[in-house]
Amino acid sequence: MNLRGVFIEDTFAEAFTMRVARILITGRSARWAREAALNLTGFATSVIGCKCEAAIERELPLRESPDGRPGISVLFMTMGKDDMGKRLIERIGQTVLTCPTTACYDGLPEAPDRVGVGSALRHFGDGFQISKVVGGERFWRIPVMEGEFLVQEKFGMQKGVGGGNFLILARSADAALQAAEAAVDAMSSRTGVILPFPGGVVRSGSKVGSLRSKTMIASTNDAYCPTLRAVTTSALPEQVNSVLEIVINGTDAPAISAAMRAGIDAACRDGVLAISAGNYNGKLGPHHFHLREIMSGGEPV
Amino acid sequence: MSDGVVARLRQRLRQQADLGEILAGAWSGLRPSELAARPVHLEGAETVPLGELFDLSGEPAGRIRFEGDLARADRLAAGLAEGEVIVEGSVGAQAGLGMAGGTLRIHGSAGPLAGAAAPEARRGMTGGELIIRGSAGVEAGARMRRGLLAIGGKAEGHAGHAMIAGTILILGDAGPDAGLWSKRGSVVALGPIAIPATYRYACTYRPAHLELTLTRLRARYRFPVKKRHFVGWYRRYSGDLADLGKGEILEWTAK
Repeated sequence: MNLRGVFIEDTFAEAFTMRVARILITGRSARWAREAALNLTGFATSVIGCKCEAAIERELPLRESPDGRPGISVLFMTMGKDDMGKRLIERIGQTVLTCPTTACYDGLPEAPDRVGVGSALRHFGDGFQISKVVGGERFWRIPVMEGEFLVQEKFGMQKGVGGGNFLILARSADAALQAAEAAVDAMSSRTGVILPFPGGVVRSGSKVGSLRSKTMIASTNDAYCPTLRAVTTSALPEQVNSVLEIVINGTDAPAISAAMRAGIDAACRDGVLAISAGNYNGKLGPHHFHLREIMSGGEPV
Repeated sequence: MSDGVVARLRQRLRQQADLGEILAGAWSGLRPSELAARPVHLEGAETVPLGELFDLSGEPAGRIRFEGDLARADRLAAGLAEGEVIVEGSVGAQAGLGMAGGTLRIHGSAGPLAGAAAPEARRGMTGGELIIRGSAGVEAGARMRRGLLAIGGKAEGHAGHAMIAGTILILGDAGPDAGLWSKRGSVVALGPIAIPATYRYACTYRPAHLELTLTRLRARYRFPVKKRHFVGWYRRYSGDLADLGKGEILEWTAK
């Protein structure tokens, strides 16, 4: 399959089931809502080293903001149910509670799995905290030096998908970067999808394990490193001098599939030679995103 | 989807009618004929079935709408625990008395003791939302323990008397002695209010929980909240310091 002269490899991205929460952060202005969201999702690129994966999903239109103020929606993902509460309490406590003017709300009110967040953070109020029930949901007003921090008692959590991906194989580093930027632009602000890596782009795709160390759970994907073409079993076609990866997490497989379609379409441009994807031969993850099916309008397996 | 049950008053009430038993307990799944059998106590000790006073129609859908002049109907939605009750006009005394859940929306005004506690009870409303588009009589929300009571007009006086917790929001004049003897809870005054001497000023700020509540009131009930209520500031007074003192009065101010 070719798309505007770019070869679409007959392969698939292999993704995993994760747990996802949607966190809504509002603030006095868009600046402070975004500031809190950026801090909440900082150092959250991969569960391998960060224990969670998170990024901004989109800006909230005012009509969707729980309190009518400017807001940001964040998707927050962990591998297990138990991790979610710990990570949210740590991160919301350190990055949203501390951020001027912000409030923090659950964005998955229909999810049956609920994890206590405000119920733990309220103790920061040292007995001065106040509970409010609004619309059947409990919130905590925690007095802080600036005024009050409002946080919902419980946050919904559901199954999500992490690790959707595709690789951009380009003639040059500049071409790879331009294609990646175009793909990110096309995939950003889509409901149900996040790109957890810096600017949405990964330059250091990994393989499982290591060729040399038994303790390493991941190491550089040498088959796709152009500088190693002459010294390892390379997967790169000739003329490829740079590869960038886009990793996509989401609330469900169709959301990821739709984002991949938009991203790959945008990435197929001058200087890009092929689009590939990372997988483990189907042995590890239950969600398989076949590139050619996706670009033909099909749904993932 | 059905609009629920409609209860249309057959003719003007000639005496006070106690509707306190018609929506207590489970009712949202009852058909009009079943609701029609529930008792109404008329002034003078006569008891009649609801169907004798109201023409009931529609299908059960968790909602009942009352039409007609209910100014002489007392204790409507007392003990309400579920569903949505809509009153097209005004109601008598003790509407939503001790309600525990659900929603009571009164498009007109309410008499005394809306959302308050029954004489024999320690607590007023313990949950749900009581929305009065017009004014409320004396002691609205007295001894309420939880829930939201929103008043679009004025409150006659002693609103939130001895309230234990919950929120009372008043768009108009809050009347004298609002929040007196409260233990916890919030009296939110978007109009004029005389702060009781037993409350003490804390600060002027923007409470996020109030923006959440105002947004919900406007979106869900089209409650006539104004933009100035979102962009203004609120003076916080702690009280009642003659009691537990964990309550508050939030007084809107433009500056």
